[in-house]
Amino acid sequence: MSRIRFLCFCLALVVSNLWAQAQMPVYAIGVSGLSCPFCAYGIEKTLHRVDGVESVEVNLRDGVVLVTMAADAVLDEATARKAVKDAGFTLNSFSQIPAEPLP
Amino acid sequence: MTAERAFWSAYINTQDTVTQGRLTPKVVMFFCAAVLPGAAQTAPVTFNTALPVAAGEFLLREQFLYKSVSDDPSPLDRDIDVLGAVSVLGYGVTGDLTLFGALPFFNKNLDLTLPGNDRVSRDAIGFGDARLFARYTLLQRDMPGRSFRIAPFAGMELPTGDDEDKDSLGMLPRNFQSGSGSWDPFFGVVSSYQTLDYQIDVQAGYQINTREKGFEFGDALQLDASFQYRLWPRDLGTGVPGFLYGGLEINYLHQEMNQLADSNDRDSGGETWFLSPTVQYVTRRWVLEAVVQIPVRQDLNGMAVEEDFTVRAGFRITF
Repeated sequence: MSRIRFLCFCLALVVSNLWAQAQMPVYAIGVSGLSCPFCAYGIEKTLHRVDGVESVEVNLRDGVVLVTMAADAVLDEATARKAVKDAGFTLNSFSQIPAEPLP
Repeated sequence: MTAERAFWSAYINTQDTVTQGRLTPKVVMFFCAAVLPGAAQTAPVTFNTALPVAAGEFLLREQFLYKSVSDDPSPLDRDIDVLGAVSVLGYGVTGDLTLFGALPFFNKNLDLTLPGNDRVSRDAIGFGDARLFARYTLLQRDMPGRSFRIAPFAGMELPTGDDEDKDSLGMLPRNFQSGSGSWDPFFGVVSSYQTLDYQIDVQAGYQINTREKGFEFGDALQLDASFQYRLWPRDLGTGVPGFLYGGLEINYLHQEMNQLADSNDRDSGGETWFLSPTVQYVTRRWVLEAVVQIPVRQDLNGMAVEEDFTVRAGFRITF
């Protein structure tokens, strides 16, 4: 019986975690001028300074940076543009990725 | 004093400040430190780049070098070895404006033959002249996966190195001191075109050397070009993979003759062309790099000593 309770607890934990992640808005930022690995760290650093940013993931080949925000936070385009400019690059696109539905 | 005596005395006389040979501190400093602070991004190994340093970001570049100068047309048979390290710190004030500071450390050894065939050795060890300068991105054209930039720079070389070093033979020659003793402004412009596959950088720099204690090193002009190509990985995956670059750099250095009082030192100054194969491994946070600088053409004045080669290796980190 205790084993079943433990499995239920784990399942609830996983589901709540997935739910929380699904609520975290993700933004795709297109960056022009991004063309070497060393560039990536600068843009990660300036974006991490923005309030509410949870994680930053750079895809160098496509020139796209994925920014995951805290569940209750919003990233606006002007803020993203300034962070990219502070890193020495140019923002060329900005969009929020729709949250995936829970399985 | 005959020309020959003056020539000898430059290396053994305690007071004579005539400089012989081309390996002046100015040349070493200008070539090792002034154009070196390319701490930003995937910079050439021997000079700077126009690529940005993010606002609030620090970059540290440490480069170790060994230089051999021994092709001496004079009976002095001078043989000069230089071991050095150049530390460069860069700070991004904004995405366009970066401040740099560079401090070299040299351990120089000079072997020469005195009249009577006595072979002597002289050493100079210490910090050289520090350099402070700013670089501003004047033109920036960013496209997906590529960037073109033009950035002028200007700064000052400070007399932080010892220019009155002595040994058992007396005062070291001016050209062998760790520092110049003078405040010397410099300026130039660097341009970069970078893509995901390759990078091209070109730079022009000029240093105005000023007079100190009746002596003035000749002004120096340096022109540089660099081509780097991504050797690995051949195909880019997702994320931020490390890049291995192979490259080739060309450096042209012209230095005017040094001046003592109001007369030129005819055994100083001249022109040198270097051809330098490079290798760099670049990641998000650090870079490893190495280069061999081969002087392919040296047109030096008078009895100047010609350089054999220079090897540099070092790293860069960002924080």
